Amino acid sequence: MSEQAVGAAPAGAAPAVAPILEVQGVTLQYKTKDHLITATYRVGFQVYPADRFVLLGPSGCGKSTLLKGVAGFMRPVEGEMRLKGRRIEGPGPDRVMVFQEFDQLLPWKTVRQNITFALVNGGRCAREADADEIAMTYIRKVKLTGFENTYPHMLSGGMKQRVAIARGMAMEPDILLMDEPFASLDALTRRQMQEELLGLWDDTRFTVLFVTQSIEEALLVGSRILVLSPHPGQVKAELNANRHSHANLGSPEFVALQTRIHDMLFADRVLEQEAVPRG
Amino acid sequence: MAEPARALRDPVERPEFEHAGIGAANTADVARPLSLFERLSNVDPVRKFTVLLSVIVLWEVYTRAANVPPLIFPTFQDTVVALWRGFADYGLGGQIWASMSLLLTGYAIGLAIGAMLSFIAVSSRFGSDVLGTLTAMLNPLPAIALLPLALIWFGLGPKSLVFVLLHSIVWPVALNTHTGFMSVAEPLRMVGRNYGLRNVRYVAKILIPAAFPSILAGLKLGWAFAWRTLIAAELVFGAATQGGGLGWFIFASRNEMDIPGAFAGLLTVILIGFVVENVIFRNIEQRTVVRWGMHT
Repeated sequence: MSEQAVGAAPAGAAPAVAPILEVQGVTLQYKTKDHLITATYRVGFQVYPADRFVLLGPSGCGKSTLLKGVAGFMRPVEGEMRLKGRRIEGPGPDRVMVFQEFDQLLPWKTVRQNITFALVNGGRCAREADADEIAMTYIRKVKLTGFENTYPHMLSGGMKQRVAIARGMAMEPDILLMDEPFASLDALTRRQMQEELLGLWDDTRFTVLFVTQSIEEALLVGSRILVLSPHPGQVKAELNANRHSHANLGSPEFVALQTRIHDMLFADRVLEQEAVPRG
Repeated sequence: MAEPARALRDPVERPEFEHAGIGAANTADVARPLSLFERLSNVDPVRKFTVLLSVIVLWEVYTRAANVPPLIFPTFQDTVVALWRGFADYGLGGQIWASMSLLLTGYAIGLAIGAMLSFIAVSSRFGSDVLGTLTAMLNPLPAIALLPLALIWFGLGPKSLVFVLLHSIVWPVALNTHTGFMSVAEPLRMVGRNYGLRNVRYVAKILIPAAFPSILAGLKLGWAFAWRTLIAAELVFGAATQGGGLGWFIFASRNEMDIPGAFAGLLTVILIGFVVENVIFRNIEQRTVVRWGMHT
């Protein structure tokens, strides 16, 4: 029975606001050619409005699978997921996903058309003209003014991810799902993108569910961190990271939390090639 | 053998430095415009046209200098004259039209069938197996080999030719379209579904454009097969029925020992093939897959 309670908020500590996303005892499985893999086992958490909720864990902890479940691309074999109280049954524009891969942009559409495509087909705008206006607003927000008529293949990796983020934000979804969006970028661009994302969040206070396998990124980007253990993914801890940002990167407090998470994930296992350097 | 002892040394310590301001580079060649010749030789058509011109000059000079009998290999000039006469006196224009209208009919029907087959293939695993097996079986069969049977099934007429054309168009088009659909990147599929696209809208707005490079390759291949098949079929068919078309024009010219005429027919076949492949398809490619950065 104690397993069922994993991830449930301790009694009496529940905030007054209703959560946007509720995940309860979710087990997700998928098939490979030879195996049925259990990606997550009875995982539960709640995401509240304006949360920057991070799913953190080493590869194999099912964090991306969990995100696909929330997006509606996979159905849980056990447990349930609710968005604003409604059970998640399939993909929909109320939860927009931003992927790690650069080929999430439609290569046959320009930057602006990629955004209007989402707005019109996702049902946010009935007319192309309205969509154009919103698209331009978000292109400005992600600092891509001047590139609106450029095709994605002409953009750098960082710019492509900015378009994907702009496209996701333009939809104004209930929750933005980001699957390691900066993992394919070089270190300098990644740092810059993290800061820009936080800047955008300061502007509009959207709710984001962010997957990463970098402890540092989790601390920088997240306001709350769900730590998952691998094979299969189970909740190890839920921590607050609201006080940490680029401003106190490397401070003793920052490093202490980093070390704490690192030990949580790696203390009980022999380090393989996935070893993450401390602090 | 012991390795020679090597001293373990530390990196050499050097002073650090930092430039306060970087001045203008002291070279004129930061961006020097290329010379006219350099720029011309960068233009693809210019280089290719040069090759073409050399071939023609070589042809003309050799046939004249070596006194090659016109019945074996006419000069370029004779061929051009024959081409002119072909249009003026022997109805070459009409023969081209006969060939092209047949080809376009076949192409249109072939595309429709190919699209249908790939739609069936993409909608279920069984459909995919059916298309895969059929293509593997029938694609290696040269369409022209079916002509004798087609003549029995459909009689001496355009129906037989269209049937043979269909065989050369349907398989490459269906196969390439299907392969294109199957290799659409997973994130792109998920993006489509994320924004609420399903069924026909999903196919039209995500699968077809995303698979377009592959679809275009299928269209080109289908065209190339069909064009070659048609000329060959007309050679055989024309011989059987005194029918028409470019292939028949070549055959008839040879029969009358009008070798320059036969050359003129061949030249026409080359020219049309060239225009379609290098002008029409190239143009489509430039406007789509090249502009989108999807060409390989």
